[in-house]
Amino acid sequence: MATASVATSGVNVSAVSEQYNYDVIRKFTIMTLVWGAIGMFVGVYIASELAYPFLNFDIPYITFGRLRPVHTGAVIFGFGGSALFATSYYVVQRTCQARLFSDGMASFTFWGWQAIIVCAALGNVLGYSQGREYAEMEWPIDLMIEVVWVTYLIIFVGTLMKRKQPHIYVANWFYLAFILATALLHTFNNLAVPISLFSMKSYSLFSGAQDAMTQWWYGHNAVGFFLTAAFLGMMYYFVPKQAGRPVYSYRLSVLHFWAIIFLYMWAGAHHLHWTAIPDWTSTLAATFSIMLLLPSWGGMINGILTLSGAWDKLRTDPVMRFLIVALSFYGMSTFEGPMMSLKDVNALSHYTDWTIGHVHSGALGWVAMISFGSLYHLAPRLWNTPMYSQKLINVHFWLATIGILLYIVAMWISGIMQGLMWRAFDDFGNLQYSFVESVAAAHPFYVMRALGGAFFLSGMLLMCYNMYKTIRKGSTEQQVEVSPVAA
Amino acid sequence: MEWLMWFTKFENTKPVSLVIFFVLFCGVMVYLYGSRSRGEKLENFKNIPLQDD
Amino acid sequence: MKHDNIERNLGILLVLTMLAISAGGLVEIVPLFFIKETVENVEGVRPYSPLELRGRDIYVREGCYLCHSQMIRPFRDEALRYGHYSLAAESKYDHPFQWGSKRTGPDLARVGGKYSNDWQTQHLNAPRSLVPQSVMPNYPWLLKTDLDYSDIELRMKALRTTGVPYSLTQAEYDRNVKDFGEDVAKSLHIPDAEKNLVAQAQLGNYDTDPGKLSEMDALVSYLQVLGTMVDFKKYDDDYFVKFR
Repeated sequence: MATASVATSGVNVSAVSEQYNYDVIRKFTIMTLVWGAIGMFVGVYIASELAYPFLNFDIPYITFGRLRPVHTGAVIFGFGGSALFATSYYVVQRTCQARLFSDGMASFTFWGWQAIIVCAALGNVLGYSQGREYAEMEWPIDLMIEVVWVTYLIIFVGTLMKRKQPHIYVANWFYLAFILATALLHTFNNLAVPISLFSMKSYSLFSGAQDAMTQWWYGHNAVGFFLTAAFLGMMYYFVPKQAGRPVYSYRLSVLHFWAIIFLYMWAGAHHLHWTAIPDWTSTLAATFSIMLLLPSWGGMINGILTLSGAWDKLRTDPVMRFLIVALSFYGMSTFEGPMMSLKDVNALSHYTDWTIGHVHSGALGWVAMISFGSLYHLAPRLWNTPMYSQKLINVHFWLATIGILLYIVAMWISGIMQGLMWRAFDDFGNLQYSFVESVAAAHPFYVMRALGGAFFLSGMLLMCYNMYKTIRKGSTEQQVEVSPVAA
Repeated sequence: MEWLMWFTKFENTKPVSLVIFFVLFCGVMVYLYGSRSRGEKLENFKNIPLQDD
Repeated sequence: MKHDNIERNLGILLVLTMLAISAGGLVEIVPLFFIKETVENVEGVRPYSPLELRGRDIYVREGCYLCHSQMIRPFRDEALRYGHYSLAAESKYDHPFQWGSKRTGPDLARVGGKYSNDWQTQHLNAPRSLVPQSVMPNYPWLLKTDLDYSDIELRMKALRTTGVPYSLTQAEYDRNVKDFGEDVAKSLHIPDAEKNLVAQAQLGNYDTDPGKLSEMDALVSYLQVLGTMVDFKKYDDDYFVKFR
């Protein structure tokens, strides 16, 4: 199926490459793979440090505390961010039938974004940290992000304004909301006072409870908009394209959009249940978290039913399998999330490995899987050749799936175990376990988690190899365009 | 800022969230499913990705 | 005509999207900055001394918050394990907050005074020499590295800009004497910061090496003050409940 459509589109390659800016998309696609491999490797390494602490080697730069932000930065902003730049530039051009607003600015977002990821990682390793999860980058890097992000917004809106198609396709709505929300979150969560213009060190403007609320408003919505809404934009384009049939219901997708973007922003305080914030905030957040289940599942069903009548593709097309399994994990983690936001469940699950498992069922199962599927769809169209090996895609799929299952099962068990051990009392009303007993009990599951991560990483490396071989045998627009220039 | 205080009353939070969400939800539902012709127009947009090759 | 219409639709989409994504934050976060009850009125909470502040910076630098929380929840098991549940007031001078989200290691909100300086220093240097099953990294460089306190005044001034009552003028100093008492007020005076930092390190001898002012001195001094500022014997059990 994929091969056939590439063959037909191959006829007017030069027309397409003049019409659209594919160059920046190719660059972002390659960097998605690079950051994926690096970020996941660091992830496996820090998971191993928790299982075998000697791996910290008494070297400050690679201790868990400094490498963990390197991992989250490289996978969320490097891998996820590059995948979003690549696919959003592709989708907005194809569905608007218009070239990107500005090639120069698009190129600037590429080099700017890569510089940001490198600086952020170096900064973390050297110990420059704002001390806020997923926002560890210090203030100079935050300013760079701000500049690149505003440029991104201008390109995206500019391209939408140039469109030849009168209607803006819904995938672009999700991308747009993601860009706007990220700008808003990034700006307010990083308000800080630098100690001097020549120092990396700064102190956040807010303190204590207010700072906590701002940070988790950011942290939760980074998940909601960066890792969910944007990837839903990806889903609404690439699932129909790969299936060769339109999305199940357009009206459901519109409903999905408004409900998701409205509800998500209220739910952040569920990260702060039972802490020193007012109870009403916490309860309100839990209420909205429960309501979030409805649009989330509506979207999942909309995506999966796109395949109705063509279920055989799941057996024949490994790319389709990536996309549909991603949607299933999306459904699973958007059920688990609201459940964990109930205050009584949260009392057990918070502070434990269960949270880590939940994040990874979303990050690996949903975000990474939908990105893999989309990139396997994208690469043949960017380099005008079918993928080097369908079989390797299939192997990647199984490595990734086994890896995720090992990871989340390990974290479920250790998380629930920790929660129960911490609150266990003996017959005399004393605590039954010391804290370190719960650490020791988690050891086998930390090993299992690292193993799951290694499975997932090996799948990622296989994808890099497959892509490398594909790019080597493919051709980019430059080669096609040589002849008209020479003539 | 006085009006914001109303939201801070513990007992008001659940009803207010439900009212806001329900009204908006009904509005969107009426827009999407209230008119057959608008519905058909909207559903046609789902073919946009398939027309771009 | 038609083009106008299209542009307006994009505008409407932008505006509605901004409205939808702003609502939640406005209603939940903005009030926290205006309601008095967000932060309890308790005695004893004070800004960190210069040495403790540098210790806190090191705590942030090493990413301790990724494995240790500083937020005790109001449950019986946490009360037995860690102490009285945390109050918002106890972190009101924390820029940034370090409540954390994960307990790979135990909560540290009230670790101050629970262990000796000797224990803390040896534990940070080689955790498994004291707790064999621990998975915490060794931090041997803390003892070996001299504490850099050359920019301590800049750090305190930046915090003063965010609203922490470090004093720069005589009037501010007098206000601190009234609010915190003379001993504390002295330690919050920015012009004397270096002197106070060195004096506290020498008096406290946190890293058990009197001749050296190491990063360990600063970090241990911070750990030893955590959760010790409020005297809970002064308050009824249900006094704090109304702030939740």
